[in-house]
Parts: sequence; structure tokens; C-alpha cells
Amino acid sequence: MNDPRVRKVLDAILVPLLAVLSGLVVMGILILFLKKPLFESYAILFSNGFGCKEYGNCIFITTLERATPLILTGLSAVVAFRSGMFSIGQEGQYLLGAAAAAWLGYAIHLPPVLHALVLMTGAILVGAAYGWIPGVLRVKLGVNELLATIMLNSIAALIVEYLVQFPMRADTSAVAHSPVIDTSAQLMSFLPGSKWGVGFVIAVLAVIGVYLYLWRTKSGYEQRMAGQSKRFALFGGIHSDQAAIRAMLISGALAGLAGAIEVMGVHRRIMTGFSVGLGFDGLTSAILGQVHPFGVFIVAILFSGLKLGAQLGLQLNLDIPRELGGTIIGFIILFVAAGKLYEENIARAREWSARKRGNPMKGESH
Amino acid sequence: MTPAIEMKGITKYFASTHVRANEQVDFSVERGEIHALVGENGAGKTTLMNILYGLIKPDAGEILIDSQNVRIDNPDDAIRHGIGMVHQHFKLVSSFTVAENILLGMEPQQAGFLDQQKENELVDQLAKRYNLPVNPAARIRDLPVSMQQRVEILKVLERNAKILVLDEPTAVLTPQEVNELITVIRKLSEQGYTIIFITHKLIEVMSVADRVSVMRGGKMIGTKKVSETSIPELARMMVGREVLLRVKKEERPRGDVVLDVKDISISDVNGLAAISHVSFQVHKGEIVGIAGVSGNGQTELVEAIAGMNSLDGGEFLFKGKSINDASVGERRDMGMAHIPEDRMVVGLNLQTTLDENLIVSRYDHSEFSRYGFLLMKAISEFAERVVRAFSIAAARPGEGISMLSGGNLQKVVVGRELAGDPTFIIANQPTRGLDVGSIEFVHKTLVEERDKGAGVLLVSVELDEVMALSDRILVLYRGTIQGELDAATATEEEVGILMAGGTLEDLQRQPEGSSQEVK
Repeated sequence: MNDPRVRKVLDAILVPLLAVLSGLVVMGILILFLKKPLFESYAILFSNGFGCKEYGNCIFITTLERATPLILTGLSAVVAFRSGMFSIGQEGQYLLGAAAAAWLGYAIHLPPVLHALVLMTGAILVGAAYGWIPGVLRVKLGVNELLATIMLNSIAALIVEYLVQFPMRADTSAVAHSPVIDTSAQLMSFLPGSKWGVGFVIAVLAVIGVYLYLWRTKSGYEQRMAGQSKRFALFGGIHSDQAAIRAMLISGALAGLAGAIEVMGVHRRIMTGFSVGLGFDGLTSAILGQVHPFGVFIVAILFSGLKLGAQLGLQLNLDIPRELGGTIIGFIILFVAAGKLYEENIARAREWSARKRGNPMKGESH
Repeated sequence: MTPAIEMKGITKYFASTHVRANEQVDFSVERGEIHALVGENGAGKTTLMNILYGLIKPDAGEILIDSQNVRIDNPDDAIRHGIGMVHQHFKLVSSFTVAENILLGMEPQQAGFLDQQKENELVDQLAKRYNLPVNPAARIRDLPVSMQQRVEILKVLERNAKILVLDEPTAVLTPQEVNELITVIRKLSEQGYTIIFITHKLIEVMSVADRVSVMRGGKMIGTKKVSETSIPELARMMVGREVLLRVKKEERPRGDVVLDVKDISISDVNGLAAISHVSFQVHKGEIVGIAGVSGNGQTELVEAIAGMNSLDGGEFLFKGKSINDASVGERRDMGMAHIPEDRMVVGLNLQTTLDENLIVSRYDHSEFSRYGFLLMKAISEFAERVVRAFSIAAARPGEGISMLSGGNLQKVVVGRELAGDPTFIIANQPTRGLDVGSIEFVHKTLVEERDKGAGVLLVSVELDEVMALSDRILVLYRGTIQGELDAATATEEEVGILMAGGTLEDLQRQPEGSSQEVK
């Protein structure tokens, strides 16, 4: 408990945990207003987000599947933020990566494993290129990367919409979609009837990879130092412009990869309305996860589970509108954003307990 | 005489950092006196004053004002009891005018609308009453630091403070501005104000205070009348041992030229000439001091030598080779070390660990990284070595440094810069804001490096420091070298007149001491 490292980890976990609890309390109040059974709601929230109905039929598996792109776009945000680039371009990079993978999936034909690798590489390159643009704009022209990525997100969404509607359109069905990608390009799933598969393994590897990259490599060190203090980096001989561009390339690559995995493992094609805000949810996961790869991993899974439980589960079982589920998630985000409140109270509680435990000082003599 | 303030048995323990900041501290200040409160960084001076001002709640102890036991829970209580505080980092709204800042929260109103003209008149009157001229309509962000400080003082006076607490008021001022401030303080004390003056510059204590209290390690060591004490005694009380106020330095033969500065010109951030046509040399085994009032091009010169800034013209030769195109890292690899003037923002990254701070200039050496990966074990061993070699007691490898005191932070910087046995060291204001113990450490270290054969370029606005350490003194004035002096024979008057833009002939021409020609 007194080991500062243990304490740091505890602090990192305690704050989001308290935030989630606060969100659940608010949810209870809202549910009471709707005159729905309170405890049943909680039970459904958890069983539909994280539970198993019977052996081999686990909703938690779906949660993990849904978490996969969130983990990757979350990591994308982590790499950018840690390097001092406030890029929210994950959505656009994700969409273009997905489009690239979808096209490579039906336009060329290659043997199994190789075809899948080509799709992922293509998506990574496209995502990285799309991340490079705001990076260079920032470094060479001083364009604010936040504004640049907002614009680039809209541009990407429209480009992909055009591609799906016209050049890549498979047929004249009401909902525009591209042809299904070759089986050789599809990612295997672990369980029949589920789409949880190789993509999740790639995401886990990416979590470890990003952690090692940021904290154990020279390049990662350069990026973090440049991100925390540009003057310090300059003083120490770190090229922060290069570090910023590199960060944007990696950030774009991760988001692009997320798009590829979503196409290869889940939808097998790209269709109109492919974007459901996964890039932004990843961004949220990154912030809630303390901008740390491990934090992103946990939060992305929690986030997906809550979404399934709160939006789908409550609606199907208790007729509670899915908007309420969204509201609860919104509250949790709000509470995490107010994390300072918890930190202060935790610190106060510690001080109080330290004093109680014995520092026999004179009583307050006011 | 009854004391204006008495603090008895003040105790404060910070559980989060395990620091006993104040332990049974007794402190009393008499009405109308100028009372200096001195101590090393982290001695508990600021904590004690924050308790007096209601910013921190003590664990135990009582506060008496005019012999009345009072309870001060927040700054509002303190102000009600006539206590005003001027913080080290000013708390002004930079986009507001002087008058708006002074009258913040107590503006004269007319049916809810502000009356700017009346505000300005009020502030004008206030400034006249205390003989502290300010322009009420000027915006804070356009004012020099000394003027901002004056606004802070007026703000406190407007709130009817009778007791003024000034937290290290001279740390941000130039020597001339310090003299002005001292005059202001004296005047206020003559008008019956009680002044508590936190500092660690003992020269200022001797020149302005009536009495002085010394703190060390959270305890009150003692209170003395300034007329009955001396700088060495106060230094001993502060540090707890004998302190060398002036490091011993022996004559050494100097070696080859290590840095040759040839006719360089540099512009500042606004594109104005900061340094024009400056040439000088630094040899191995000598300390070249650059004296000058701050803002005469020192920062630009130092950053250009270190490679952080580009040249408009001229050339740097380092060990005979041109380094105009060399990056910061290449210059460092050639044996250059740099102690920057701003350790909080430039010299250190307070958001990361000690280890990562220590490797910033050498993380890409084969010693600390291989195949692109950092060698974590080698790095933490290096951190332990530096901590031991420079006895940075409070710093622990693997942990953050944001909690360290100024003196310890500077030790981290100095330790990092000297760990690679550099042949040339730029030391820019290396002792700014440090207490006597830490100053002694930095001075001793720089002289040791010189004795080991390194060339040292010492840039300082502290005249004493330049005089005490340098072998040769160059005086920088408005971006040019106003003169060069041999430190062994130079007098303070000579350096002073060059710093003010005069020449040595001026000194001989004016035996009566009139200095009208000198700006």
C-alpha cells in the first residue's frame, strides 16, 4: 500500500471505477423514474454486457468482438496524445482503412494468409497516409491538428460514402454495399456463430506493442518527451517535429488497421453508413483509460459491454429505450471527466486515515 | 512593543508527501518592522506564510493578531485581519488593466455598470498616496515584471492590509528593480506597515530588514536583529553547517581554445537583433563570465551556442571545427554541456521520471539503447550513479521529480550535464532561485570542472557570482560586448559601469560620482 508504484496503479483504477459506480447510481435514479424494476435492470445490464446465457453462448464474446476496433482506435489516440498531438482523426483513418481493405478484398485474388496480410498492410498504409496529412500541416504550417482532423474526418466520410455508392457498389440493392471480400481475405473467428476471432488477438498484440513502443524504445521516448515539453525536447536534442509526424503515422496506421479488421472479421464488406462512430468511441476509451494502452484495453471492453447491456439488453428485456442506455454511458464519461473530484477526495481520505493511524499530534486548537 | 503577529506551535504534516513542513514553529513579528524570513528551499517558509494567509490549515498551533487569538480559515479571513500577501507568482489577470486588477471584486458601480473613469481615478489616488506611480489604464500583459509586482502591492494596500507578506519578491527582479523595491518597502515601513519578507538572498536581508528569522527543515532555528548578526552566521543557521560563501579557486594555466565565437549575430523571437557582431573565445580550464543585466541578449547567445537557435551571421568553431550546421545532439556528443536558465520548462521535464530526465541528452548512445530499444537496467543504474555522485538526497530513480525543491532540481540538471565529463559547459544563471547551500554546491562543481580542464561559459545577472567564479569577465550590453575585464583585477564598479552601457573611461572621468551620462 505504501509502495508508490502500487499506489499509482490503484489510483489509476480507482478513479474510473468510482466514476462507473456513480454512473450506475444515476442510472438507478433514471430507472426509478421510469417505474421499471431497479435490481432487475442492473442484473440485465451486467448479464447482457458481460455474462453467459448458457455454456458456449456468451454475450461477453460479443462484447469482446465489439471492443476490438475500439481498442485499436483507442491505441491510435493514445499514440497521438502521448506525443503531444491532439488528433481526433481516428474516425477518418478508420473509414479509409476499411475502404482500402474492402477493395483489396474483392479486387485482387491471392492465397489465404497472404491475402489477409495484403489487406491489413494496405489499410495500415492508407491510414498512416491520412494521419500524415495533419501531422505535416501541423509541423510545417502550424495548422492546429484538432481542427485539421475534424475536417479530414468529414472528408473521409464523404469519400467512403461516394466509393460505396458508386465505384465499389456491388449491386443495385437499396442499401449500397461493396462486394463480399474473398474468403482468403477473411479473418477466422474462434467460435461458430460469433465474429470474435483473430482480430481480437491482433488488438491484444497491438496493446502490448504500443506499450513497449512508447515506454521501451528510443522513438517512443522521443515522442513522449516531445509531447510533454517541446522546449525540453529541443534542449535535449530530440527532433520534436519528426517525433510528431511519426506519431501521426503510427496513430493513422492503428486506426486504419482497426478499419481493416472490422471489414475482414465482421462485415466482410463495406456498406453505406459503415461509420457508427467507432473512431470517436475509441477516442473516449483512450481518455477514460488514462491515455494508457492497458487502460484503453480495459475501458474498451467495459465500454462495449455497457453499450450492449444498457442499450440493447435493457431495451429488449425491459422495454427501456436505448437512449437511456446512451444517457448512462454519457453520465459515466462525465463522471470520469470530473475525475479530479475523486482524486481530491481520495487524497483527503488518505490524509485523514494517516492521521488517525497515529501521528499523535496535539489536537486542533482553534 | 506588542507583536503584530504571533504564531505559536504551528505544526503541519503533509501525508501525501510524508513531509513535516512545519514543526512546532513559533514566529512573531512586531508592528512596523521589516522582518525577513529566510531558509533553504523546502525549509517551510512558504508553508508557514500560507498558514498565516489561510491557504493551508495547520494540524496544530495558534495565531494571534494584536494579542487576540484569531482563526484564519481562508484568505478572506486573513484580509479581514489586515494581512495581505504578494505571491511569488503573481495572481493578476493579464488581459485586464491595472485599475481593473487592483479593484477586482470591489469595483465602483453605477446601477450595475462599471465606471472605468472612476476606477482609474481611484487607482491614481491610491498610487499617489503611497508614492507608487502606475498607469491605471495599462494592461498587465504589457507591463514589466517589476511593475506587475507594484500592482500586486497596491492591490493588497487597497484591501486595507496592515501586514504585508512578500514571498520571494526579488526572485524575478533585476538588480535595479530590487533596489527600487527595497525603497518601496522602507517607505511602507515608515508609514507604519508591518512587512514580512521571504527570501534566501542574505545580502537583501542585511540591506532591508530590521530582524530576521531563520527556518531549517520545518523548524524555527532562531530570530536575530540584523544589526547583531552577519551573513556567515545566517548562512550557517540556514544550512546547519559552515558554508563557503565564496568558493576557493586557484590559479590554473588555461589550455587550448575550446569555443571560438566569430562575429555572430542573432535575432530574437520578434526578429529584432538580440546579438550583433559578437566575438570571443573560451579556453579549456577557464571560466569566462558573461555579466549583464538580463535581456541584453544572454538567452539568445546561449541558445545559439547550444544549437537551439539559428545564427543570422558569423560562425562557431568548437574544438576547431565549425558547428554552425551541427544539431543540438551532435554538439552534445562533441562534449558540450548546457545548464539552462529555466530548469522547470527547458532543463527538465517535470512530468516524467528522474531516469527519463537524466538520459535526455544521451538516450541514443549505445550505453543506453540497442536496436532502438532502451536499456532499462543500464538507465536506472545510471540514475542511481548520478544520484549518489551528486548526493541528490530527495530524488529516487524511477520516480517523478515534480515534488523536488528548486535546489534538488538544479542538482538533477547539473548532475546530468556533468555526468558525461564535458569539455565545455554553458552555465546560464546556474544558481537562480537557489539557497546558499545549493549555490555553494553549484559553484564548487563548476570550479572543479574548470580545474579538470573543461571550459566554462558562465552567464549570470548576479554580479557577485560572475566576480567570484570567473577568470575573465565579458560584459554584454544591448547585444554587444561592452568590455572585457580580467577577473583578478576587476572591481565591481568597473563591471557595473559596463553593465549600464558606460565605458571604463567614464569611470575615470567622473571622480565625483555623478553618473548623468550613464543610462
